[in-house]
Amino acid sequence: MIQTLLAPLQYEYMLKAILVSAVIGGVCAFLSCFITLKGWSLMGDALSHSVVPGVAVAYYAGWPFAAGAFITGLLAAVGMGFVKTKTRLREDAVIGVVFTAFFALGLLLISLFPSQVDLRSIIFGNILGISNSDIAQVLIISAVTVLVLGLKWRDFLLFCFDPTQARALGLNTTVLHFVLLTLLSATAVAALQTVGACLVVAMLVTPGATAYLLTDRFSRMIAIAVTLGVVTSLVGAYASYFFDGSTGGCIVTLQSLLFVAALVWAPKHGLRAARARRQAAALAAAPV
Amino acid sequence: MNDASPSLMSVDVAGVTVSYANGNVALRDASFRLTGGSICALVGVNGSGKSTLFKAIMGLLKPAAGTVAIAGLPVPVALKRNLVAYVPQAEEVDWTFPVSVWDVVLMGRYGYMNFLRIPRAEDRRIAEESLVRVGMLEFRDRQIGELSGGQRKRVFLARALAQRSRVILLDEPFTGVDVNTETAIIALLRELRSAGHIMIVSTHNLGSVPEFCDNVVLINRTVLAAGPTAEVFTQENLLRTFGGVLRHFRFDESTVQKHDGREVTLLTDDERPLVFGKGGHVEYRERAGREDVVRKRSEDEEDL
Ligand SMILES: Nc1ncnc2c1ncn2[C@@H]1O[C@H](COP(=O)(O)OP(=O)(O)OP(=O)(O)O)[C@@H](O)[C@H]1O
Ligand SMILES: [Mg+2]
Repeated sequence: MIQTLLAPLQYEYMLKAILVSAVIGGVCAFLSCFITLKGWSLMGDALSHSVVPGVAVAYYAGWPFAAGAFITGLLAAVGMGFVKTKTRLREDAVIGVVFTAFFALGLLLISLFPSQVDLRSIIFGNILGISNSDIAQVLIISAVTVLVLGLKWRDFLLFCFDPTQARALGLNTTVLHFVLLTLLSATAVAALQTVGACLVVAMLVTPGATAYLLTDRFSRMIAIAVTLGVVTSLVGAYASYFFDGSTGGCIVTLQSLLFVAALVWAPKHGLRAARARRQAAALAAAPV
Repeated sequence: MNDASPSLMSVDVAGVTVSYANGNVALRDASFRLTGGSICALVGVNGSGKSTLFKAIMGLLKPAAGTVAIAGLPVPVALKRNLVAYVPQAEEVDWTFPVSVWDVVLMGRYGYMNFLRIPRAEDRRIAEESLVRVGMLEFRDRQIGELSGGQRKRVFLARALAQRSRVILLDEPFTGVDVNTETAIIALLRELRSAGHIMIVSTHNLGSVPEFCDNVVLINRTVLAAGPTAEVFTQENLLRTFGGVLRHFRFDESTVQKHDGREVTLLTDDERPLVFGKGGHVEYRERAGREDVVRKRSEDEEDL
């Protein structure tokens, strides 16, 4: 029994996959608290798809994948900002147009130059086959993100909550905006390795959304989200060995299940709590 | 700490023109100067550019021409030194955000905190005092969206107070706020004035202006008049500012009886004035159409 349970840990590739997933899961969850509150969820999805052409070019040219991905991610972000200020289109339309354009370009590049780039591993992730140099990139991105958010989370909180007040206090909101956008692009690139372009947005939104249902305090929201992110990634990656299923699929399914659980049973903002409150109110109003 | 130099605080608005992205010039060549301590009323019709002027002073809108200086310093420098606090007309924040009243008030202290923004005992003390001032201390652990409109306003006022800025801009702080709170806020503004602060308060509540404001800026897309209340806040200037859109209550035309015939006018930009006569009954603006009321009241008086 124990033999079976420990089996995945005997393989170095499994051990690496589990640990790297946990790191990425935690970092994404940390960032997700800001992304969900800033209303940038769609932006996270857009960036994770926009990095695809960058990855393709990077593999083709022999650069580190993160560099290429990061460049097209930022290009897409800037492109969206530009189109939005120059037209009267609503933001969701702008995001939709720009990111699909980038994603389509990526698909085209990969199909035209079918070198060593594996489309499946970009779109669905391939954490089991992650190389040591890729692990190094992921760890660097994660360390920088955790450091920046860990030190300045209160500034980012104010920026997300009340940008006007942030400016009134003399904070440089343009810099905060771009730093957050850059961290989002970088983290999307890192998460691409584990769960693939399609599911990155889940890692960047679900833990924060779940934690949001569970608390009214931002500091607690961060703690809950990061715990959820790390635990689901550890367990999901570990479990994927037994199912022989997709690692990303396992992690995100787990996260979604926890979200549903929070939706139903959250102590204050859950559906059951809301029903109980309604019933109590009806009872109090009823004639004795 | 903030520039607590004993030097006189001042706000200089010189030839400020502000236009919006759609080409709409909301403010043209606006100029006035205030020195501390002062409470200055900013008065004008809807769309006259009051909020625009505040945003220009805060550097949220960039003037197409002209300059704003606070204590002789350009706006960005003044903001970094915590010299200016601002309470917008309507807070455009996400009310479901997971922050408590206490968190919001502490945000006013960011400028004094270290790199990590960790509040010190001093910051907590001032934040608590500010909450007491607006009578919101008992709500300190409430999530910010679980408050009434007036209570939300008071929390943001507390945040501005916690900032301990020597210039405070209040965009319609009294709309939607009950009389007790309004009185408390005015008392507070008076205290700050004695301490040398400058407060600029936009309001449609003309009646309270002479009561607590020593300066007035009248505005309609430009500054029409600015200066001490006694000189500027005149019937003539007000009629010019509001161009006949004020609500008049002329006693000689109203149902009020036994006034001595000399003209008394009540002006308001805000609500219709509710006037109670000597007998404690409601008085109407026009006598026409109320002849029965007038007759009945004369009869009642004769009975006495
Ligand atoms: N974002 C905007 N874009 C274009 N025009 C604007 C914008 N905001 C305000 N305006 C215009 O600028 C003018 C001044 O607006 P402002 O908000 O300063 O008025 P206000 O004096 O504060 O009015 P109120 O008493 O209603 O608060 C108005 O004519 C308004 O239509
Ligand atoms: Mg206004």
